[in-house]
Amino acid sequence: MIEIDALTKVYGQAQAPAVDEVSLRVPAGSVFGFLGPNGAGKTTTIKMLAGLLTPTSGEVRLGGFDVARQRPAAMAQFGAVLEGSRNVYWSLSAWQNLMYFGRLKGLRKARVAERARDLLTGLGLWDRRDDKVGGFSRGMQQKVAIAAALIADPPIVLLDEPTLGLDVEATRTVKNWITEQSRELGTTVLLTTHQLDVAQELCDRVAVMRRGRLVADLPTRELLAGFRERDRYEIRVEGTVPPGFEAVTREGVTTISVRVSDPGEVYEVVARLRAHGAVLESLTQVQPDLEDVFLALVNEPSHAA
Amino acid sequence: MTAARGFAAEVRKGLLNFAAGWREALIQMITFPLFYLLIVLFMGRGQLRADLLLPVLLGTVALTFIHEQVNRVFWSYLGDIQSGVLEQTYLTSLPSAALILGRQVAAAISALPTALAVLATGYTVITLQGGHLPVDAQVLVPLAAIVLGTCGLALILCGLTLVFKRIEIVTQLSVAVYAIAGGTLVPLAAMPDPVAFLSRLVVPIAPGIEAMRDILLGGHSLAALPTGWGLGWLLAQPLLITGAGVVLFNRLEHLARRRGTLGRY
Repeated sequence: MIEIDALTKVYGQAQAPAVDEVSLRVPAGSVFGFLGPNGAGKTTTIKMLAGLLTPTSGEVRLGGFDVARQRPAAMAQFGAVLEGSRNVYWSLSAWQNLMYFGRLKGLRKARVAERARDLLTGLGLWDRRDDKVGGFSRGMQQKVAIAAALIADPPIVLLDEPTLGLDVEATRTVKNWITEQSRELGTTVLLTTHQLDVAQELCDRVAVMRRGRLVADLPTRELLAGFRERDRYEIRVEGTVPPGFEAVTREGVTTISVRVSDPGEVYEVVARLRAHGAVLESLTQVQPDLEDVFLALVNEPSHAA
Repeated sequence: MTAARGFAAEVRKGLLNFAAGWREALIQMITFPLFYLLIVLFMGRGQLRADLLLPVLLGTVALTFIHEQVNRVFWSYLGDIQSGVLEQTYLTSLPSAALILGRQVAAAISALPTALAVLATGYTVITLQGGHLPVDAQVLVPLAAIVLGTCGLALILCGLTLVFKRIEIVTQLSVAVYAIAGGTLVPLAAMPDPVAFLSRLVVPIAPGIEAMRDILLGGHSLAALPTGWGLGWLLAQPLLITGAGVVLFNRLEHLARRRGTLGRY
């Protein structure tokens, strides 16, 4: 479990805090999406969580251990792939990297070797284990970084943009891996990404940051449900539509978007279309995806967690 | 046990990186002996004077270790900060000063081929001139003192790198100052008293080089070193500098964590 209490960071003489009184609970075994636009304070929060940055105030506990006061125990709970960095040595082979980071985490040589074999096999890199990471593709390098983060089998893993720049196949492998880690092994995964489809697919719960503050922290389904536009419908018809409708026609099918103040008005709209000779194909209440929710949260000033 | 495993892993990684950059080592094995001969020629006004060959040889061997321990460690540390790999080493329970000392051990081992090339060159030239290269196992003690004292210097430079990043000029300057003020080319006894005093006090290599000269050139025993401040200071100075290095590194690391510069370039 990750517990963050009233975490605040003010850099130097800055007027506004980069992170302002952020509190979070990430339940054990869940995949938690930590989202926000650039400059929202995600990276600062992550670095404080990882003990790489000293908070101005507040506390972070990993698996019950305080990162500031019980650092060795807290770090034993934790592995991370950080965005925008190599994470592993490109001059070393995949095998040498895993042996290095495993030993750095205090594992015995035999245990590291066993774990490295499992990870490299699982990520499809076993045949390339002795090749230098610098010669790998972006996707393979990312897999080695993930393997290094998981080498000591930590109960908490932070993945900062794990699928950024990966091709479809590598993205699929990483997503499957995240799901497997969480569902089958009970690993807590904290995921930050700008690929909101990935977050929607993987995350049990999502938190959104904006200007250093949390603006949402809810289970993904509840968050999406909260933004369901009960008053907006999409109607697909064949044929012409009466004037006054917001319509887009493509390959003979016209899609109309209507807003109603009362669901009963939908029947009236359909009746008008029918009277005009349009043939109804489908009628759908618009379901928002995480991208819609995210944009609504980061663009509107009034939303609170 | 965890610290020991981490330290050993750091040494092994350093040696793997050294092996991966074998071309650089090969170049150094050529350029350092050339540098040694050129210095002797320069000091001897165009002559490879027998009275200069051995003293300068001792200084150049010491410089080889300083060069590896300071330059190699500084650049690899800066590279790790730039690439973000350094942050990964912070996600462990190990004290980072222990990892820098691991890098230092790897750097000291990496200096051996070049140091041996310099020694071989010196031996050849001295033998060709009809002289002989004295051998005394006692010289390992001052050599170890030089290596340990340089660890302290490297710790301070790494701490400064965490906070200020582009400090290569400080690194280069410190190597140059230490090379001169450390008595590698000119003995401290030939320097003005205040300079010799300060060098013996704070320059990590100075007592070591004086002791090497006393043992190999003067034939004195380690327990009765005639120049400098004796065996006690030879052993105490590198320990004090390394201790100060650990304290300063920890302070600078604390500052880097507060400013958020551990991984930012």
